[in-house]
Amino acid sequence: MRLTRRERLILYVPFVLLVSGWLIVPAVIGLVATLTNYAPTELAVRWVGLQNFARILGDRSFAAAIRNVLVVTLVGVPLQLAIGFGLAFVLRRPFRGRTLARVLLLVPWLISPVASGVMWHFVLAGETSLPNFALGWMGASPQPSPLGQHGLALATVVLVETWRVAPLVAFLLLPGLMSIPHQRWEDATVDGLGSIGAARHVALPAIIPLVLAISILLIGGALATFDSVLTMTGGGPGSETVTPALYSYEKAFTVSDWPVGAASGWLIGAAVLVVGLAYVRLARWASS
Amino acid sequence: MGVIVTTRWTAQRRRARAIRGLVVLVAIVVAIAPVVWTVMAAIGILPNENTRPPTLIVALTADHLAEVSVAEPTFWQELATSLLVSAGAALLAGTVSMLAAYGLARRPGRTQARVVPGLLVLASLPVMAYVIPLSDLMRRVGLVDTLPGLILAEAAVTAPLAVYVFYAYLVGVSTEAEEAARLEGAGLAALLRRVVLPTAAPIAAATVIVLFVLDWNLLLTPLVLTGIDVRTLPVVLTDFFTLERELDWPTAAAALTISLVPVLALVGLLIRLLDRFSLGGGVEGVAS
Repeated sequence: MRLTRRERLILYVPFVLLVSGWLIVPAVIGLVATLTNYAPTELAVRWVGLQNFARILGDRSFAAAIRNVLVVTLVGVPLQLAIGFGLAFVLRRPFRGRTLARVLLLVPWLISPVASGVMWHFVLAGETSLPNFALGWMGASPQPSPLGQHGLALATVVLVETWRVAPLVAFLLLPGLMSIPHQRWEDATVDGLGSIGAARHVALPAIIPLVLAISILLIGGALATFDSVLTMTGGGPGSETVTPALYSYEKAFTVSDWPVGAASGWLIGAAVLVVGLAYVRLARWASS
Repeated sequence: MGVIVTTRWTAQRRRARAIRGLVVLVAIVVAIAPVVWTVMAAIGILPNENTRPPTLIVALTADHLAEVSVAEPTFWQELATSLLVSAGAALLAGTVSMLAAYGLARRPGRTQARVVPGLLVLASLPVMAYVIPLSDLMRRVGLVDTLPGLILAEAAVTAPLAVYVFYAYLVGVSTEAEEAARLEGAGLAALLRRVVLPTAAPIAAATVIVLFVLDWNLLLTPLVLTGIDVRTLPVVLTDFFTLERELDWPTAAAALTISLVPVLALVGLLIRLLDRFSLGGGVEGVAS
């Protein structure tokens, strides 16, 4: 089926206008602006080179943000993939109540990150704590919220994000697992492979491109972590749960240091682009 | 002999089924327990953690739901804004993306192998990377804090993912009917309306639903691009709960519950349609 060049152009134009106008052009302008002292209120704009980036890299709270987001990404994403895969694997065959189970399992993803942050703040805290309620029944004494404790806050953020995202991973993986021909599962059973063997030798190889696609989306999401920490911890205690996105937002809109905010925002984008390049290569390799 | 093998077979299957049931059950409990806790608080079922063991104080009431509009007088208007913006952005992104994806899928040559994974990288790009300069641009053209401005910006956030999904679908569809229509002299519009869209309708609808949920939950875009006139629920939720001014839990829980209802209803009712949403299955999927 061939379309003429003109027809294809007509098809592309609306998308290109939308995405360049509201995404690519601002990103490029932003990059140029971060090499100057530009701010919406600045009258005398001049070139400052890499000064904004130097200020960010010299800032200790940005260093903390980098450390935190690396933990969120390197621990959170594999955890989300593993749990999501496990869920999709047990859901791959029909059983009574599966549709209901799938709706219920999607509930965490339907809750916005900001709502999830508010919710977990209360669910884990003081008088309204669900874990304390359960602990009380087991005869244990109530614990303070892990979100306020040194050493536990970041781990809790990772777990809450995993709670929110793993069900989505299962939802996205399920069509891939269900498209595997029935024969291959049967062969695995005949070959004496158990569930784990079938997961490794039948399921995984068939869905590698899909896993890669989901991974890049998850990595982008993890590097952008913002909404949930904004309401859950506000970055605290100290700067234990500050992320680069939260740092950018606070610089640009709370302390009105526009150039630094825009520049550190760009660094997050650059990190995703670097991972993205690796993804494009891997995706081509996996599909060839 | 055969009988023994069969019995062992059935025993094994029964055990596998029991394990699967247990895994699904635990996953569902973990997924919805905090949400149930929240809904309980919203309708007046609160824990009393001062007794040993803790008890629940049941005082069923709609007061908390009513308090939402006391704490936030324009809450219902903001709910309507959220519905309008999410629906508008999802439909706009869906339409624009379907056109672009069709152009890509019916393109001769193999350059798609490069373009298509690139779309996913664009979809993973954090909003924070470009939203600060975008807010400045929008202010300059007078689109800041307007419905069209926000709808366009949210559509741009989700459009790359939609193109990826539609492409994965369209590239796998037989083009016979399209060729036949073309031979009868169908132009691009007729081709899309009469041949492509009727068969793509289910996946288009499923994708628009997913986009709606994504838009419904977006925080950073409306937070930065709007102010007074146009406010969506995630933005309101950050107001509802800032670390300085903590609202009481039942009111926050009521606001959370109300903001969950529309997406939960949508997904619950249309879960079977949602099955069509797929990032492109297994190895045979994207870019082959």
